[in-house]
Amino acid sequence: MWRKSKPYLMTMPAFAVIAVLFFGGLYEGVMQSFGLFSGAGQIHPGLSAYKQILNMPDFWVSLGLTLRVTILATFLSAILGLLMSVCLFLMSKSDLVRWVPFWRKWFELPLVVPHLAAAYLIVVLFTQSGWISRMMYQIGLIDDMTIFPLLVNEPFGFGMVLAYTWKEAPFISLIIYPVLMRINDTWHEAARVFGASSMQFIKEIVLPLLMPAWFAASFIVFAFTFSAFEIPLLLGITYPKMLPVLAYEWYTGDLTERPQAMAIGLILVMITALLGVLSYRIGKRWLSAAGRGWL
Amino acid sequence: MNKERFIQSMHIGMTVLILLFITMPLFPLIFSAFSSRIPWPQLFPESWSMRAWEYVLSPVSGTWPAVTASMSIAAIVTLINLIVAVPAADALARYRFRGKSLVQAALYAPIVIPAFVSVMGMHLTFIRFGLTETVLGVVLGHLSPSLPYMIRSLMISFSTLSCEWEEQGRMLGAGRINRFRYIVIPHILPGIAAGAGLSMLVSLSQYLITFLVGGGRVVTIPILLFPFAGSGDPTIAAVYTLMFAGLAAAALWGLELCLGLFYKKR
Repeated sequence: MWRKSKPYLMTMPAFAVIAVLFFGGLYEGVMQSFGLFSGAGQIHPGLSAYKQILNMPDFWVSLGLTLRVTILATFLSAILGLLMSVCLFLMSKSDLVRWVPFWRKWFELPLVVPHLAAAYLIVVLFTQSGWISRMMYQIGLIDDMTIFPLLVNEPFGFGMVLAYTWKEAPFISLIIYPVLMRINDTWHEAARVFGASSMQFIKEIVLPLLMPAWFAASFIVFAFTFSAFEIPLLLGITYPKMLPVLAYEWYTGDLTERPQAMAIGLILVMITALLGVLSYRIGKRWLSAAGRGWL
Repeated sequence: MNKERFIQSMHIGMTVLILLFITMPLFPLIFSAFSSRIPWPQLFPESWSMRAWEYVLSPVSGTWPAVTASMSIAAIVTLINLIVAVPAADALARYRFRGKSLVQAALYAPIVIPAFVSVMGMHLTFIRFGLTETVLGVVLGHLSPSLPYMIRSLMISFSTLSCEWEEQGRMLGAGRINRFRYIVIPHILPGIAAGAGLSMLVSLSQYLITFLVGGGRVVTIPILLFPFAGSGDPTIAAVYTLMFAGLAAAALWGLELCLGLFYKKR
């Protein structure tokens, strides 16, 4: 009996923390989004909050913006993160190998900078009176700061994409670098003996090994960026807002608007949860097809 | 031969570009923090000034209480995480039981699903229990986004700890506490350091959850930084940003360093 229940007892405290403080909150949020909470007053219980949100053009514009920023940021971080780990990998194969730990730490620098701080770095660099515009003036590309393109607090979200890329590319590299390092020198030679070109080696050996980790890391970046708050708060504009900021705006409004606020928040949760399950499925199939246990 | 040269120069060029991309945002911040306002199109300050630092380090700014609050909240959160995560990570890494993948999925969920939505949902309950505007409430809010990282780090350590080693300790007469103290702890120490570093980092970086639960009464460094970064004094914002990043880096790398020294000593 003891042997059987032991692992359950061991996971119990952590599970209780997450169940109460995370799922408990989500459950309460669901109830509130249906208008079921004390102090709701004249709110009619039901799906009206969701109907109202889904019929609101602002919501769809925000969703579009959030998706655009998230997809662009994830794509750029994935590419840059891959390039970073390839640079480190090549370095570890050259005579610079002693310096790899040092460069790795340097590459990881953005990881330790909190998001709010990262957002401010982008402000200092990319506003019209920022350092990039000053540099362009010094080399004679522009003669007034108003000519410098609006990159921060504008409707497209360039600033947010830049901030997230700076912040998340090292994360991707952190995950895939160890996978890359497992590729043995002798494998390349073995492949050459069997007549494979370098391109074929990359296509047949390196990519299948790398894909699951790369994909998983990119997904985490996507989910995180999709629901993060600090960077949009500092780098976004009042219209259109990023979804997390929109949820927050409704939330700080009147208590009668709480169902709508929770509805937006829960739509965010549903989208990320759905993507989570989906990527887990795809990742699992990938893992069982090639390179099991490489993640 | 030519091809190799080409790859080599591509490699150097790429590395330099990446280093530039990573490091460049820090320069204007440092210039800005150690000078008074620098007029456009000047790149470098004409004279250095510690004015912003004087303000930030003076008692009126409330910086020290905020640093203390940030660090103590992060430390308490990390301690609680450590206590609940050690047995959970052990069970998940080394035991087989029904529903394991479900438990693991539940424990990892806050990595992907935004925790602030859950905190918004809990807000009314927090008010009922008098937890809003208190440090305890903020600590409770920080637990769910940080715990998964602690569990993940510890699981990696536990997965290489064979049950037979503890068995051997038992045969040699070591009690439960001694086995834990002399066999388990030394083995999972790197996991503890990594998990504690990440947990501190996640807690220190929280802005929204701290603000939602603390209601502006529990003032941590990000709460203090935000109004300056938005539209306030850019010099002071630069100083706070440097401090904020420095604190987070110190938490993460400091633990790594301690671990390195510990192993060197042994």
